[in-house]
Amino acid sequence: MATVVRMPAVLAGSTEAALQSWLVEEGAQVSVGHPIADIETEKAVVEYAAEAEGTVAGFLVPVGENVAVGTPILVLADPGESVEAAVLAAADLTGEADAAGPSTATDAASPEQSGAPEPSEAPEPSEPRAPAEPAPDPLPTGPSPDDHGGRRFASPIVRRLARERGLDLGLLRGTGPGGRIVRRDLDALREDPAPEVPAPSAASAAPAGVAPAPAVPVDAGATATSTDFVDVPATGMRRAIARRLTESVTTIPQFQLVADIRVDALLELRGRIAEQTGAKVSVNDFVVKAVGAALRDVPDANAIWLDGTIRRFERADIGIAVAVEGGLVTPVVRGVDRMPVGALAEAGRALAERARAGGLRQDDLEGGSFAVSNLGMFGTREFTAIINPPHSGILAVGAAAPRAVVVDGALAIATVMTVTLTADHRVVDGALAAQWMAAFTEHVEHPLGLLL
Amino acid sequence: MPRRRRLQTGVDWIELSTTTADWDRAEPDLLLTMLGQLHLIRAFEEAVLELAGEGLVHGPAHSSIGQEGGAVGSIVGLRSSDAVNGSHRGHHQFLAKVIGHVSGGRLDVGSLVSPRLQAVLQRSLAEILGLAQGFSGGRGGSMHLQWLEAGALGTNAIVGGGAPIAAGHAWAQKHAGTDDLTVNYFGDGAAQIGSVLETMNLAAAWKLPVCSFIENNLYAVATRADEITADPRFSVRGQGFGIPSWRVDGMDPLAVHLAMEEAAELMRGGGGPTIVEAEVYRFFHQNGPYPGSAFGYRSKQEEADWRARDPLERVAAEIRRRDLLDDAAVAAVRDQARDAMRAAVAELVEDDPDAAGTRRIRPELWPDPARVDAGMRGDARELDGLPELEPLAHTGAWTETRFVDAVAGVMDRRMGADPRIIVLGEDVHHLGGGTNGATKGLLKTYGPDRIIGTPISENAFTGLAGGIALDGRFRPVVELMYPDFLWVAADQIFNQIGKARHMFGDNDTVPLVVRTKVAMGSGYGSQHLMDPAGIFATAPGWRIVAASDAADYVGLMNAALALEDPVLVIEHVDLYGRSDRVPSGDPDYVIPPGSAAVRRAGNDVTVLSYLTMVQHSLDAIERTGVDAELIDLRWLDRASLDWETIGESIRKTNAVLIVEQGARGTSYGGWLADELQRRFFDWLDQPVERVTGGEASPSISKVLERAAIARTEEVVAGLERVRAGMGGA
Repeated sequence: MATVVRMPAVLAGSTEAALQSWLVEEGAQVSVGHPIADIETEKAVVEYAAEAEGTVAGFLVPVGENVAVGTPILVLADPGESVEAAVLAAADLTGEADAAGPSTATDAASPEQSGAPEPSEAPEPSEPRAPAEPAPDPLPTGPSPDDHGGRRFASPIVRRLARERGLDLGLLRGTGPGGRIVRRDLDALREDPAPEVPAPSAASAAPAGVAPAPAVPVDAGATATSTDFVDVPATGMRRAIARRLTESVTTIPQFQLVADIRVDALLELRGRIAEQTGAKVSVNDFVVKAVGAALRDVPDANAIWLDGTIRRFERADIGIAVAVEGGLVTPVVRGVDRMPVGALAEAGRALAERARAGGLRQDDLEGGSFAVSNLGMFGTREFTAIINPPHSGILAVGAAAPRAVVVDGALAIATVMTVTLTADHRVVDGALAAQWMAAFTEHVEHPLGLLL
Repeated sequence: MPRRRRLQTGVDWIELSTTTADWDRAEPDLLLTMLGQLHLIRAFEEAVLELAGEGLVHGPAHSSIGQEGGAVGSIVGLRSSDAVNGSHRGHHQFLAKVIGHVSGGRLDVGSLVSPRLQAVLQRSLAEILGLAQGFSGGRGGSMHLQWLEAGALGTNAIVGGGAPIAAGHAWAQKHAGTDDLTVNYFGDGAAQIGSVLETMNLAAAWKLPVCSFIENNLYAVATRADEITADPRFSVRGQGFGIPSWRVDGMDPLAVHLAMEEAAELMRGGGGPTIVEAEVYRFFHQNGPYPGSAFGYRSKQEEADWRARDPLERVAAEIRRRDLLDDAAVAAVRDQARDAMRAAVAELVEDDPDAAGTRRIRPELWPDPARVDAGMRGDARELDGLPELEPLAHTGAWTETRFVDAVAGVMDRRMGADPRIIVLGEDVHHLGGGTNGATKGLLKTYGPDRIIGTPISENAFTGLAGGIALDGRFRPVVELMYPDFLWVAADQIFNQIGKARHMFGDNDTVPLVVRTKVAMGSGYGSQHLMDPAGIFATAPGWRIVAASDAADYVGLMNAALALEDPVLVIEHVDLYGRSDRVPSGDPDYVIPPGSAAVRRAGNDVTVLSYLTMVQHSLDAIERTGVDAELIDLRWLDRASLDWETIGESIRKTNAVLIVEQGARGTSYGGWLADELQRRFFDWLDQPVERVTGGEASPSISKVLERAAIARTEEVVAGLERVRAGMGGA
């Protein structure tokens, strides 16, 4: 009997992924644990290992195309089984598996189940699927008709309302039969503007499916034969950024606090460390360290909003925005508050490198309550950043530059950096944010404490 | 040794043949008119066969060539107000009747075809070709030729199917106080089908002026008469039903005429029905321009022998013998007939510009395909001006009543106001108002001519009621004791009554009410316990009402009785004994089509139901706490449903549950679910859910019957399915 390998849910809660590359060839023998494919999700590339042994009989999805989690991707022939027999058997297996009903990991790929099929409409149990019947095209070049190719099910009224309201159904979790998005899921959205935020364990994963349909129709002219532009299909990462940041600004009540911070002491300290130890610690490493220290000083700010509850953290886990080819990712450095600044610098560098190489793991991307985005290296004086859900804050860091300041009533020159805190008002009120900003400023302006 | 005595029916069965003296005595006008009619029909049929040979007749062309003598002989003496029908082979009878009508009964053979007759010939041919100018706009064609003004009731493609309708027409003629009569034509092949035999029985029992004219042409398609019956003298049937009968040579039109004169005298005098059997011969096969011998079921010699007795030749010979016309004048009659048909054909077909040497229908003469469904029923304007009352909004006084008393009460009220209304059914006149008391007291008030107990022959008495309705002078109400009996009467209900108006080109109205009762729960078992709504809803032409309480029943029945369409009124045994109420005052109000009742407002699901399931749904809604909107449909057919109320509700709730009691296969909700998902697809949040009974028909055993039908518990389960479909958990 053949084994059908399905697209794994490499990110918890993710509903689709793409096959980046096959690590085996047709006809190859694989054993359990043998790497067979690199699988690319919105934010990570994961090496996927075989969970059964056999001979690679056929690939079922093209490289590079997003398919729903649960979609059959590969057929393994059992020992002694011919490749053709395995493919035929697999066609039958995929049919059966689809009829088996939804499971958590394959919601989006499950066939739609109407609440309670009428008995007379159900297939006669005495009529098994005939395995001898050749399946229609056992080696499809795309998703087979039996799977749903990343479709998410929404009832007709939901599709109508989404169209009218310009909603992206990808933001919703369906609670109807088989995960169907039903009217009540939209109603819930209206009553509570906060979308269902995924649990922190799935923080960086899409809250639900991919629904590539844009909320606003693209310019109709885009389909014309114009030479003035080209349409580039958005990558999974871009779509994730689009969706998650749209979700952020449309559902989180955000507000900003700005502070000008003198960094002369910090720059001096950094220079001395480099001079005396050779360690490479960036201004940003100190900023991240100071963020961690401030969260420790003001623990009420180290919290996130979770669908009606507030989750507080003991530790300061901080995301660092890293620009990568085609987008950005936010890997999380854990326990920043307790980490020596040198180790922090090391960890940050390693994550950034892995991010640029596309080698982040899922757990690199999950969790955290706060993020830092630094555009200082580009000379940007100040800017605001958008909260990366489910975080409750993000600090936008501008360039440090000499500015005129007033010290004790006299004009002086100091190196000043402007930072902007964006906070989630559901968790962090203005006074709390100000308190946090004061703590942060204190740590940056008197950086020796960061070395303790 | 038992004593044995030979019994006699005492019913006349006469073989009639002519003598030279009869021919000598016959009025010259009669003979010349018969000659003219025979030639007109022959020429007409030859034209049809010629067009059929060119492929211009869509469908069969059942030629009557050779059989003209029976039709002409039997019809030449009739009045316009007498009626005839006809079978699938009915051109000759139709033509004889309409020629008689437009010529005032007598033809002038010197100038055979008047402009009016020419027009009628062309319209008849146009109908057979399926063209707009035909009598039924081309919808009826060869097998459904109707011209009510001329007393041509419509030929019928169901063998024997016209018999009950003809009897109904005769019933109306009799009870309207006329001495008109109706002739029901059928062939040897139909002489043993149930409709015909049931009708003979009914007509004899009720002394109706209807003649069963048996055109015995010896072959039912290719099957010889003596293969299918013990005594192939089919007029022998009269002995069994107490009907005086004649047997004549149908190739002798005068013999047929004389027999028919005797039969007509009896019928016009109140003597009841008659049978005339005429032995005739069709020169061609069942269908098309080839002789039967070409198909091997009869010999060329047999055909030659019969052709030698051609009725046209026979009449011409007697006319020549009496010096009424010479050879040239007889030939001129034939030429005039042929010329008339050539002219008629030329108006309808033309040379095909795309295919040299062939002809085609003139394209501009086809009916408009956009009108394909038009005229299936009326537009209900007959209800305009009638008092409407919405019981839900009634603020006046109420009168307590049992449901079944309201049923009898509204019928009493209408019968008192409208002498055209009559009631037919099994035991409707006995047992204190039928088996359930629904006609209680009516016999005493209106007598046996209006409250009519029938034999147990649903096909005949339902079809007879259809004939009465098509006649229009009376408005019959038929009670089918149990809904499953619709299958017994199915030909009349669905092929005849439901289709008539549309099939004959929207020239008929069919003011007929059929009452029946759903009896699920009564233990009557598999052959008595269906809900007929689904079957009627998916068959053309019927309107359907189902009341869930007495006040609705009154308004719906008043509307049903006022409509010019056939209406099925569904009742339920569970309702009859119920203590109920109706608005006080005269029960004259109507609840018109398109008046569904919202029994409970809600937001979560639209429950569509009718009859007793309305109350079961209310109970189930209360039990589940689902915030359902319950709509009592009242009018169930496609044309009468209140789409507006349904649509408004679905756009609010985005979910539908259709609730009915009966078996799934013949159920009502299937077509409705289909219609709803297409009309309201974008408003649905989940599939249309349904509550029905099981697949099998309910059994006698109490527990099995309960398991087979839907009641409150099944609606509860249905609501829970809908709730699961809502998500949100």
